[in-house]
Amino acid sequence: MHSDARPPLGLTIAAIGGLLFLHLPIALIFLYAFTTEDRSYQFPPPDLTLKWFAVAWNRQDIWPPLYLSLRVAAIASGMALVLGTLCAAAMARARFFGRDTVSLLVILPIALPGIITGMSLRSAFAIADIPFSTWTIVLGHATFCIVIVYNNAVARFRRLGASMLEASADLGANSFQTFRHVILPNLGSALLAGGMLAFALSFDEVIVTTFTAGQQSTLPIWMLNELVRPRQRPVTNVVAIVVFTATFLPILAAYYLTRGGEETAGGGK
Amino acid sequence: MNAAVEFQSVSRHFGTVRAVDRVDLSIAEGSFFAMLGPSGSGKTTCLRLISGFEKPTAGAIRIFGEDMGDVPPNRRHVNTVFQDYALFPHMNVRDNVAYGLMVKGVDRRARHGKAEEMLALVKLDGFGDRKPAQLSGGQRQRVALARALVNEPRVLLLDEPLGALDLKLREAMQDELKTLQQRLGITFVFVTHDQGEALSMADRVAVFNEGRIAQVGTPSEVYDRPATRFVADFVGSSNVLSPDLTRAFGGPARWASLRPESIRLTDGAGARASGRVTALRYLGSGTRVALEAGGQEIAVLVPSGGAVPGVGEVAGLAWDAAALHLMEEA
Repeated sequence: MHSDARPPLGLTIAAIGGLLFLHLPIALIFLYAFTTEDRSYQFPPPDLTLKWFAVAWNRQDIWPPLYLSLRVAAIASGMALVLGTLCAAAMARARFFGRDTVSLLVILPIALPGIITGMSLRSAFAIADIPFSTWTIVLGHATFCIVIVYNNAVARFRRLGASMLEASADLGANSFQTFRHVILPNLGSALLAGGMLAFALSFDEVIVTTFTAGQQSTLPIWMLNELVRPRQRPVTNVVAIVVFTATFLPILAAYYLTRGGEETAGGGK
Repeated sequence: MNAAVEFQSVSRHFGTVRAVDRVDLSIAEGSFFAMLGPSGSGKTTCLRLISGFEKPTAGAIRIFGEDMGDVPPNRRHVNTVFQDYALFPHMNVRDNVAYGLMVKGVDRRARHGKAEEMLALVKLDGFGDRKPAQLSGGQRQRVALARALVNEPRVLLLDEPLGALDLKLREAMQDELKTLQQRLGITFVFVTHDQGEALSMADRVAVFNEGRIAQVGTPSEVYDRPATRFVADFVGSSNVLSPDLTRAFGGPARWASLRPESIRLTDGAGARASGRVTALRYLGSGTRVALEAGGQEIAVLVPSGGAVPGVGEVAGLAWDAAALHLMEEA
């Protein structure tokens, strides 16, 4: 039921307080990227400056972790797109014994604590004698990236309905043609959204990465190491802004993409 | 005449459910064939067995003499009009209709030309650029029809295609489908649960019950001479008389069917039986009178203008001897 009456004042204050508690610290991270004081985070900052952006740009130790993070996120989400879509296609259409169990097992990695995933992968790599590389990090990230794509794709598959795929086959299309001309155009926005969410998740992942990276560092791990050093601290905050942008924008885009998908699906009825 | 579709003792079981159970069927080329039955009677499964979306558990299906055992749906010269139309929402109407030609590799100009031709056939000229979402239910139905006809199938399957339309539109589409079938000369196999639809459109009707065919025949055979109690009741809600009542009504001790419109109400003269009126239902074109006679309810259709007795009154029942149709046990 909708009510035009204003909510009680106490509730309003509590809601505002909750939102501030969640988001004020993020604003402070941004603020300290501009402070002139580089050893401790004193409040309020003595003065504001833009020089840390230039310093960060010229720090040679930032670029390799940034490239590594981008590479890992791109490969992991690409891999997730292919495997997650195939998995969703199989689960949406097939009916077999143990289907629900398989479905649960596919989703499990995202519910599993990262530290468990990390430990198990690390021991698996050790047993199989696989040296740490970009690919070991990619594998770790792919475990949860696949789930994100799978969840997005399986929901859209369900809406697609069986009769449309049957209609395509009925008109003479083989499986590949049905995928290319019917499934992909209808799945497109869901896949793009899933891929971007997966990219964002991979880009800022720390826990699984620490177990699978060896001596390499991704951007979030570089930040973690940097925070314990009392030198040029605002540089870390500049990098934090970069990470924030690289993860927030895809998530925002994914949100709008899937929302649009619902509208078109509703319009078809 | 050749058989377009032939079923040889075909069964389709889902676990312990016998959706289709040892069905023999022969559909003549060029005929309008209706599969009639209540939901769950196996008629839609039979249609899906022809299109190839279901595989028989046992038995053989032949289309124009060719065994369909291992032929997938996309290689059968059979097309389907789906119950929910199943139009592709991301394509415009022209591309929807041309889809069957596109996947065959026909070039854009040729397939669009053919699509326009098909749209004209179903009276949708000029709708090519619209999206399915912009069409009414009746228009979508026509697009689905045009799309299924573009590949020039030798058999067209229609799965309750008129179910979603309102009465007026449904009657108009019934006439149109019949005309279209006669013009194109291809075999139509039509699934419906609406007996009026089946009787008015089809050349032959198969009545399904619990996975088996209860009777196959022309509409008038099925209506006038139902083979079983189920057919008599399902097609036209006939009065099904128990052997005792049939004898009381002057026939042998066997199950019989007596159509409500074959019975006349009289005030004694020529009456073969009598009954007490229990309920009246006004139908516009007449009145359905329910009477209690010999321990069973008997329905009588009094055409409009005829004298209708009041509830509780006793009336005589009269009919021509030929109207009492004897049936098998089942």
